[in-house]
Amino acid sequence: MSLPADPPLLLVGTDFRCSPIEIRERVAFHGEDSEHALVHLLARPGIAEAYLLSTCNRTEVYVQPRDEDEAYRSVLDLIFLNRAPDLEKPGRLYVKRNSEAARHLLGVASGLESMVLGEPEILGQIKQSAALAETVGASGPVVRRLLRSAFSAGARSRQETAITAGAVSLGYAVVELARNIFSGLEECRVLLVGAGEIARSVARPLVERGARELVVTNRSIERAQQFKEEFPLAELVSFEQRLDAVRSADVVVVSTSADEPVLTRKQLKEAMKSRSTRPLLVVDLGVPRNVEPSAAKIDNLFLHAIDALEHIIQRNLKRRREEVPHVEEIVEQELDHFRHWFHSLEAEPVVASLQKQAERIRQDEVAAVLSRFPAETHADLERLTRSLVRKILHHPSTRLRSRNGAQDLAHLEFVRELFHLDDDEPSEGHDRS
Amino acid sequence: MSTFLDLATLLLPLLYLGAAVAYGFVFFAAHPTAGRVATPALHGAVVLHLAYLVCLILRHRQFPAATVSQALSIVALAVAIVYVFVEWHGRERSTGFWMVALVFFFQLLSSVLVRPNPPDRQIFHDALFSTHVSLALLGYAAFVVGAAYAFLFLQLYRDLKAGRFSTFYGKLPPLEVLERMMLGALSIGFLALTGAVISGALYAEQLYHNAWLRDPKILVTLATWVLYASALLLRRLRRWQGRQTAVASLAGLCAILFSLVAVNFFFTDFHGFL
Repeated sequence: MSLPADPPLLLVGTDFRCSPIEIRERVAFHGEDSEHALVHLLARPGIAEAYLLSTCNRTEVYVQPRDEDEAYRSVLDLIFLNRAPDLEKPGRLYVKRNSEAARHLLGVASGLESMVLGEPEILGQIKQSAALAETVGASGPVVRRLLRSAFSAGARSRQETAITAGAVSLGYAVVELARNIFSGLEECRVLLVGAGEIARSVARPLVERGARELVVTNRSIERAQQFKEEFPLAELVSFEQRLDAVRSADVVVVSTSADEPVLTRKQLKEAMKSRSTRPLLVVDLGVPRNVEPSAAKIDNLFLHAIDALEHIIQRNLKRRREEVPHVEEIVEQELDHFRHWFHSLEAEPVVASLQKQAERIRQDEVAAVLSRFPAETHADLERLTRSLVRKILHHPSTRLRSRNGAQDLAHLEFVRELFHLDDDEPSEGHDRS
Repeated sequence: MSTFLDLATLLLPLLYLGAAVAYGFVFFAAHPTAGRVATPALHGAVVLHLAYLVCLILRHRQFPAATVSQALSIVALAVAIVYVFVEWHGRERSTGFWMVALVFFFQLLSSVLVRPNPPDRQIFHDALFSTHVSLALLGYAAFVVGAAYAFLFLQLYRDLKAGRFSTFYGKLPPLEVLERMMLGALSIGFLALTGAVISGALYAEQLYHNAWLRDPKILVTLATWVLYASALLLRRLRRWQGRQTAVASLAGLCAILFSLVAVNFFFTDFHGFL
């Protein structure tokens, strides 16, 4: 029986484009939830293999169906409609089949489908979900190979293109600026003037990227305390002491709701005098501005307002968008490899029969002459003949596995006939992985 | 050997040009394959360059700085070797384009000015004199490298100050690293120049007694030495920041070029051996 032209896959999913957060959070699966969902999916007769990807922006189920209608119904009920009946509304879910489904996962792994183009965390999330599917026993040869192609597409996109290059959020833009000035964030002391939501969104990537010390100052002590709860290693200083803190800081991020500048040119000039020759990066995220703009004229001080960061983000997003065609090319290449692998499965029984027949002939011939050779040479004889058979069959086996398209099916029949391969060879032993 | 020397004279600028183009792709287009080509291309050119200088020594039996062409070739090689070390040590190629472009420029000048039969000068057989010339050329090469890093530092500094995130932003090492590289190169250059001045003074004293002190070339060199000494001292005392040191480094390079070109050609016969 011949295999279908395309790998049989079914994808049902929803993401940030189709559903609001209120719906997405209802169909979000974590830890044990995911495990149970996979077990229940596998219990359905129409599903042979399953893979569940659930992140804050998407929930997608990939299955290798035995019966496509039955598989679709099972996924819909078990994963989506049971938890969020609203998803039945048109446009909330997407369904993709075969190569389209595979292409979608490869695109997700490459960051093409992310809310922020090229977002790097998705590949790690795909790997985590893959590990879970493996543990539960939900992934079989097809899903496993599809995931391998997805990892490869994701890794290549990051290595060979600039799809993940540059900062595309305020926090990372500050990190990027700091990295253009200082030799390493690990040696930087960061002062946050203001402890609101903006300060937190900037502090997170700075801490994540290894900022040595985090100091925070805020007019209201309560807010500063709340900040410390989220960042326990942060040091609190009173608002009045902020100028002392500037003297020892390398990066100063100001984000208060004050109407007047909280750092003036004169104050910063004074602070710079008592610093070493180390530069100072001041990022003013306040509107109206929290740092006197004329402070930008001070030597060795780099002052940037929110517009400059926005400019960096837009520039980086543009660069990422320019990379999309290159990433799509990689996705197509990996999809081709996946399809190729799938088609090669058809050749496996023939290759296995060919190898088995050759091995049988080798054993018969060796057995016939073995007694004529001294015992100490028997091992060498075995090794030599095995190596000969392996080398002779290497090229034909590779060629058979790499056939392309249905027209080559005739070649398989021809090979069977040519080598008089038995039709009753068992085919269960074919390694599909 | 003479065929090899002729061939190398032609090939060296071409190889450095090829390497500079590859490094250019790394810098301007972040091309992944160019990065894999650039370093081996530069290494190949450096190996050929070393072989070229060894052949020059074997052929003429004297230190290969008897002509302007040979001196420029040594400076080119020294800059190339310094950059190869920097790239290997820092594991980053982002400044390669600027450094290799300089190497190409020096080697191109050297190849254009090459003389088939340089004069055999007794002076180049003297160990003290050869030490003086070697140290001076090493110093010049280090100052060239320092000035290149100073230039890049000032460009990035200006971009960061003005919030212009264009050509240099994101493509170069951070300001602090550029400054460190610049200071490292200037320190090496300063030590070598000091050695060159001392060995030159000792040698000149034997031959000319006090007359050499009035030579314009020596006066310009001493002024250059004072400029670098002041820049390094003020930076060490934390009176100057990176920007001032970078400007001084570029001024120093201008003084060196003036001393090498204008003074050598028009004002001195004392240093007229090149």
